[in-house]
Amino acid sequence: MSIEREFLKGSISLLLLNLLSRGEMYGYEILQEASRRSANAFEFKEGTLYPALHQLEKKGHLKAEWRTAENGRVRKYYSLTSKGKKAAREYEKQWQHLTGAISAVLESD
Amino acid sequence: MSVLEELINQVVDSSQIPKGKRRQAVVCELRSHLEDFVLAARESGQGDDDIEKLVVASFGDPVQIAASFAWVYRRERVMLRISVFVLSTLAVASLLLPAILALQAGVAIGFGIPVLNVLASRHTAIETLDLVFTVAAYTGFVELEKLFDRNPFLKALALLALAVAVVMGACVAAELRAPFLVFGFVNGVFFRTIQVFMKSRMARTGIVLAGFALLGLVSYEAMPSRFQYAIAASCASWLVMGAGYRLMADLVARVDAALFNGLQRI
Repeated sequence: MSIEREFLKGSISLLLLNLLSRGEMYGYEILQEASRRSANAFEFKEGTLYPALHQLEKKGHLKAEWRTAENGRVRKYYSLTSKGKKAAREYEKQWQHLTGAISAVLESD
Repeated sequence: MSVLEELINQVVDSSQIPKGKRRQAVVCELRSHLEDFVLAARESGQGDDDIEKLVVASFGDPVQIAASFAWVYRRERVMLRISVFVLSTLAVASLLLPAILALQAGVAIGFGIPVLNVLASRHTAIETLDLVFTVAAYTGFVELEKLFDRNPFLKALALLALAVAVVMGACVAAELRAPFLVFGFVNGVFFRTIQVFMKSRMARTGIVLAGFALLGLVSYEAMPSRFQYAIAASCASWLVMGAGYRLMADLVARVDAALFNGLQRI
């Protein structure tokens, strides 16, 4: 089932912080991981990932480092800062609270 | 693949990311991403033509991505525009002021008026303030326009008017008379309006010369003491100013572009 873009828009920060809390990754890897973990439900436009990553980097939630892989490919690896770890926990709590509240409304009938 | 480069360029060119180095980093990052995509597609047996179509379909609208980048780097962009505004204003005013004053002194000598009457401290101070605030209003207008994609002229005009109103409010509160603020605002807006809406260079120059000659006549009427040829001297002096301001419009565009490109490279 595909997910509405508007739903995804609000949750992209939570998604990225959560994925990166499992270890550092580069952009393409993040998309692959999101797609794999969600059983291909997250198929958002790939180019939109980078402004979101840059925004989180600017907020101080992520730090980035350019590294050259063994095959000579240069990639930018993102990882969580301590502020980012805290934000990831906070966003997760808010998300659970929100989804709990929405579920309660949907199931109230 | 030229499609990849085209996509990357479309994003970066309209992203308005302020620093050249940062733009280059975004180019590298997007290129690396697209190369990974192409490699994975080739490994799954896709042909080059199909891959190009897939890249375009899965990457997203470059205009939207550029707009998202522009939003992320909006503060840096505003700071860069403010720096360009201050430096452009100083540069253009410093270039124009000596030229206008020298020409007015020449006009004075031509009409047999003592040069000191023109270059006397009060007159010079008024001319300097009028010119600096006109250049500031014009340059500010140009810089504000660049912050908006839709209706830049009207939005910049509204913001500039608001900024001038705030400064004037502060002057009134401090009991300071600042007629040069009004002159600068009206003059700056006038020159920007004709620059934007009148496509013909000749027409722009014509309206400026006619307008400033008229101001010369009004100024003559307000003169406390008149002398022979005073009307001609007044009109000539105003025409010199008008020509200077007309030059300002072309100068600001060049200085602004040079400073913007220079500061981006730092």
